[in-house]
Amino acid sequence: MSSNKLSLELRASFAAVADILIPAYKKYPSATSVGVHERMLDDVLDFRPDIVEAFLRGLSAINAADLSVSVNTLYKVDPEAFSAISLAASGGYYMTPKVRDIIGYPGQESVTYDAHAVPDFLLNQQLENVTRRGPIYRSTPDA
Amino acid sequence: MDNKSTNTKARRNEVADVLIIGAGPSGSVAAKHLAQAGIKVVCLEQGHMPDASKYSGRGPEWELVSQKQWHPNPNFRDRERDYPINTDDSAVHPLMFSGVGGSATLYAGHWTPFMPSDFRVRTLDGVADDWPFSYEDLTPFLEEIEREVGVSGLGGNPAYPPKMAYPTPALPIGKVGSKAAYCLDAMGWHWWPGTNAIPSLPHNGLNACVRRGTCMSGCPEGAKSTTDLTHWPHAIKAGARLITGARVRKITTNDEGLATGAIYIDESGREREQKASIVILCANGIGTPRLLLLSATSRFPDGLANSSGLVGKRLMMHPFSAVQATFDEDLESWRGPFGQNIASFEFYESDASRGFVRGAKWGIMPAGGPLGATSFVGSTVFTDPNAKVEDMWGTNLHDMVERRFGRSMVWGIIGEDLPEESNQVLLDPDLTDSDGIPAPKLLYKVSENSERMLKFNEERCVEACLAGGAIETNVVHQMPDTGWHLLGTCLMGNDPKSSVVDQWGATHDVPNLYILDGSTFPTSAGLNPTATIMTVALRQTRQMIENRRNQEAS
Repeated sequence: MSSNKLSLELRASFAAVADILIPAYKKYPSATSVGVHERMLDDVLDFRPDIVEAFLRGLSAINAADLSVSVNTLYKVDPEAFSAISLAASGGYYMTPKVRDIIGYPGQESVTYDAHAVPDFLLNQQLENVTRRGPIYRSTPDA
Repeated sequence: MDNKSTNTKARRNEVADVLIIGAGPSGSVAAKHLAQAGIKVVCLEQGHMPDASKYSGRGPEWELVSQKQWHPNPNFRDRERDYPINTDDSAVHPLMFSGVGGSATLYAGHWTPFMPSDFRVRTLDGVADDWPFSYEDLTPFLEEIEREVGVSGLGGNPAYPPKMAYPTPALPIGKVGSKAAYCLDAMGWHWWPGTNAIPSLPHNGLNACVRRGTCMSGCPEGAKSTTDLTHWPHAIKAGARLITGARVRKITTNDEGLATGAIYIDESGREREQKASIVILCANGIGTPRLLLLSATSRFPDGLANSSGLVGKRLMMHPFSAVQATFDEDLESWRGPFGQNIASFEFYESDASRGFVRGAKWGIMPAGGPLGATSFVGSTVFTDPNAKVEDMWGTNLHDMVERRFGRSMVWGIIGEDLPEESNQVLLDPDLTDSDGIPAPKLLYKVSENSERMLKFNEERCVEACLAGGAIETNVVHQMPDTGWHLLGTCLMGNDPKSSVVDQWGATHDVPNLYILDGSTFPTSAGLNPTATIMTVALRQTRQMIENRRNQEAS
């Protein structure tokens, strides 16, 4: 599904729920302040079309007038829908560059290393202590 | 996620010397070595050649899609090329992937060959069965396979007998491995840098690992060893023909009771027949018995090669527990490899005082990205099932991610699963795959021995983590989505009355029908089995080549 088809009302409902799930706190911004309800929501639902149905079902059950209670009710009575909404919120939140920068997550990056470098555990005799305790396997009895 | 352009078209009326069903680790070993010996090989694979450019590890969405499109459970992933499995009566859910390279496409690459005691379980511990061959019989083949696979590791591990050096140096153990080693040192327990089917240097068509850490959703770097990269280029160059998108529904036999080939359904839905003088099954511990049961005839009314009644029985899947440990320091624990950084075999061998027989291996792995604060390999597990919404969300979410992200690691505990005939693969009377072929149904319970073994190891693991300074530990006891290792359902043995195949993989009932996959394993060890699956397959393939002039064929 392209969530461009999401009505403004549904998008606003998701935004309200997302900020309950992920509020501003200490150095961390709220979900909507990094746009989880905007283009990021479209991206998340495109990546995970399997959650769209439960996502919409969950939002339809949210009562904006009593947000906290209805989120708690959804969590209890329709965990699949709650899971879809919360994944859309958290999945999008932790994909934003701003949040990744704050928590110190560069993403799954490639790094170089010297495969021939002698590791510290060999230089400081740490592994030698393991070796000195001797073999721990049982030999083949008839070998 | 697939590359269909590599598919080789079927040739009408062609009779192969050898037909291999399944292009996973064992089938790939057989295809390469048979083809290089000048034998005309055709392989039918129901999946496709993976397209590494479609692996998600380079994108920001990696964690999101790892929980669905790249989830290891085929029932959850629900791709058209996967077949469904009825797990209503199974405590462990089988994990697998249909495609060239097989389920190793989604494995972590832990390279842990079975140990000497694993082949003598009856003699040493009085349970289960001894194997028809020994660790020493396998060692030369293991060393050859390790060169083909490009294993990285450090020699001298006191948990194993001495053997040839690994072809590439051990991968960096990273901060996660260092912390895990510190924990074990605090207890005076064994550890060793991880051996992985992930080379640290370019090797046999593989690139060097760059520690991206997305191994279990396919390696976009071409650095995790899978046979689409390490074996099939050689097999195809030697003349093997690989037909993908080919879903076998029956192995055919003639009036003499010999296998004559297989009937399969191609991607257009057309039924085709591939004839062959010899048939080799390499479809894993669920797919192989499924096909044998599907191939029943009036001569073989209980399924092909099933005069012993053991086809499908003794399923072993390795009950598995995970221990997440969090420390008050930066461990860069999103960084790979997602193979094992270090492993411990401290509690691998039997000790009667522990209240169970056999043992378990521990492997430490990084925890992944921020969603990994509550999940492991695509499944949300590190949460309290009785938690209220505010326990996991709101400001508590921020606190939890702050506490765990980058600072956690996960111990995977694999306990030996002893064989029981009641744990088995059947044909489901109703469920089918997308071609209408009956799907498998599993009956599987975790044994009391496994329960005690996992509990003991979980407790010891938590002790070590706390001794090393962990500020939080979370135990997932017997995690359901962990059936990576599908073993035992076509027992190997010397007596045709009590086993399905001999030590060379030849079925006792059908002389030109072979099984070279992990379904033949008499016991499961407490180890990731791919190393031993490929090694046994090589030994059996070599025998087939040497014995080719004496082979009865259709």
